[in-house]
Amino acid sequence: MLGYLRLEVRRTLRDRGFVIFGIGMPVLMYVLMTNIGAGPGGADMGWKTASMVGMAAYGALGAAIGTGTGVAEDKQLGWLRQLRITPMGPLRAVVGRGLTGSVTVLPAIVAVLLVGALVNGIRMPAWQWAALAGLLWLGTAPFTLLGLGNGYRLSAQSTGVVNTGCMLLLSIVGGLWFPAELFPGWLRALSAWTPGNRFAELGRSVTEGGAPSLAAVAVLAAWLAVFGTYAVYAYRRAARTV
Amino acid sequence: MTPGTTPETTPGRARQTAQVSPVGRGGDGTAVAFSGVTRSYGAVRAVDGIDLRIAAGETVALLGRNGAGKSTTLNMLLGLLPPSSGTVRLFGGEPETAVRAGRVGAMLQDGKAIPRVTVRELVGFVAATYPRPMDVAEALELAGLAEFAGRRVDRLSGGQAQRVRFAVALAGNPDLLVLDEPTAALDVEARRTFWRAMRAYARRGNTIVFSTHYLEEADDHADRIVVIDRGRVVADGSGEAIKRRAGGSLVSFDLAGAPTAPLSTLPGVHSVEVRGDRALLRTADSDATVLALAGLGLVRGLEVTAASLEDAFLTLTSPDGANADAPNHDAPNHDALKETA
Repeated sequence: MLGYLRLEVRRTLRDRGFVIFGIGMPVLMYVLMTNIGAGPGGADMGWKTASMVGMAAYGALGAAIGTGTGVAEDKQLGWLRQLRITPMGPLRAVVGRGLTGSVTVLPAIVAVLLVGALVNGIRMPAWQWAALAGLLWLGTAPFTLLGLGNGYRLSAQSTGVVNTGCMLLLSIVGGLWFPAELFPGWLRALSAWTPGNRFAELGRSVTEGGAPSLAAVAVLAAWLAVFGTYAVYAYRRAARTV
Repeated sequence: MTPGTTPETTPGRARQTAQVSPVGRGGDGTAVAFSGVTRSYGAVRAVDGIDLRIAAGETVALLGRNGAGKSTTLNMLLGLLPPSSGTVRLFGGEPETAVRAGRVGAMLQDGKAIPRVTVRELVGFVAATYPRPMDVAEALELAGLAEFAGRRVDRLSGGQAQRVRFAVALAGNPDLLVLDEPTAALDVEARRTFWRAMRAYARRGNTIVFSTHYLEEADDHADRIVVIDRGRVVADGSGEAIKRRAGGSLVSFDLAGAPTAPLSTLPGVHSVEVRGDRALLRTADSDATVLALAGLGLVRGLEVTAASLEDAFLTLTSPDGANADAPNHDAPNHDALKETA
């Protein structure tokens, strides 16, 4: 399974689309959003920090969901079928894929955090940086499962579209691009129930020096269960035809 | 190695590179056993009752037209597809068990190259999932890929990609190698190389099952040919036996108005076909048939030709539904053999 993880991480990092859109985009958007139109002194540190968390979360969320897009492609190429006749076994193949997602989310998180520290001059104690990166990393699990579910259930073309749609919807409604405080009341209320919003909250609470709220953890856990069930269902269905 | 001579003594566990090391590993020397296997897709019966036993160490060709049920059969063999009824056993157990134990390698029909990985990485990864893999360099060498090891799989030609799939199938050093139409995308030269490699692998005592619709391939490279038509085994034996089965020779002559009814009872005759005014007799013993014909005075334009494997194949899998698996049939024409199953 480690071999599979290594193979898939390699394949993902060699994907130019992934590097440009998965890592480059969040970094670029972060730099733009915090340095353009903000006047000579630049944006205030509060926004720079909030946007850093938002963009790191956005990049991580995209990479996590994108794991499933790769699965759909492999399914179409007959590679998942080929894997089924290796001794690796289907369960380890799925877990390996999930772990791949957990590795490929890291570059986006690290890149945005680095830009925050080096370009935007954000200063925090080391433990906060570590906790921030760690929580953003752990918090991607529901999104990886959502992407995998789509990947197993849908064709390669549909998965690409649906996953991109999910990523944008969850990012925007979740307040990763623009803070949810700017949303109209009804959308803000809705946003609080979405996984994207609570995912970013994990990070934000750390930058504010606190622990994530119980509500945030509960909402994310609920989505983890929902998406996990969906992924298992999709995989079971696919296993009959893959 | 021929199946009839030593199947029980070489259960085919060759772990050494160059020589056979016949280490018995469970079972009675049976690599593959199908009993009463059927598979339906909706109302369509793709596989319609297959019974088949393949001994360890045999090289067997599944020969049939497109859509005859070969791929469905192989997918059930690999445990990728559950049979609708009947059982499939590999090395005495469930196919999944054999697959999980690393005893099976396969080249599937529709596999395509996965992007962004080199040949060596891919083959190395697959090898590492098996308990006793082949050395990666050796697998690449066998598949004729040594010079492409560092190339990305998605940047190879169709023929090269096909070799990668062969290397993937070999990489785990499996006891049973399953190849679904392995030469479909290969040119003549690549084909020759491929079969040389396959035979080398077979010589190590491994069991090989491949499907093809090329008759020559089946005849040239398999110890045994299993002809599949409409989801059933319609013939099973060596290339020679298949030819004999469909009538070893073809005796033809001008009927000139003679009655056809007695022809099927002549010595050696399997089947009688009438084309225009000419009668074509398939016979296992052309000498006896010709003598009998001479006795009847039916020698006008008499010709005796050896039936080609092509003839045999067409006879066995006649598209009008002729079914040649009724033992010792001597029905006068195909119409009388409409499939009843």
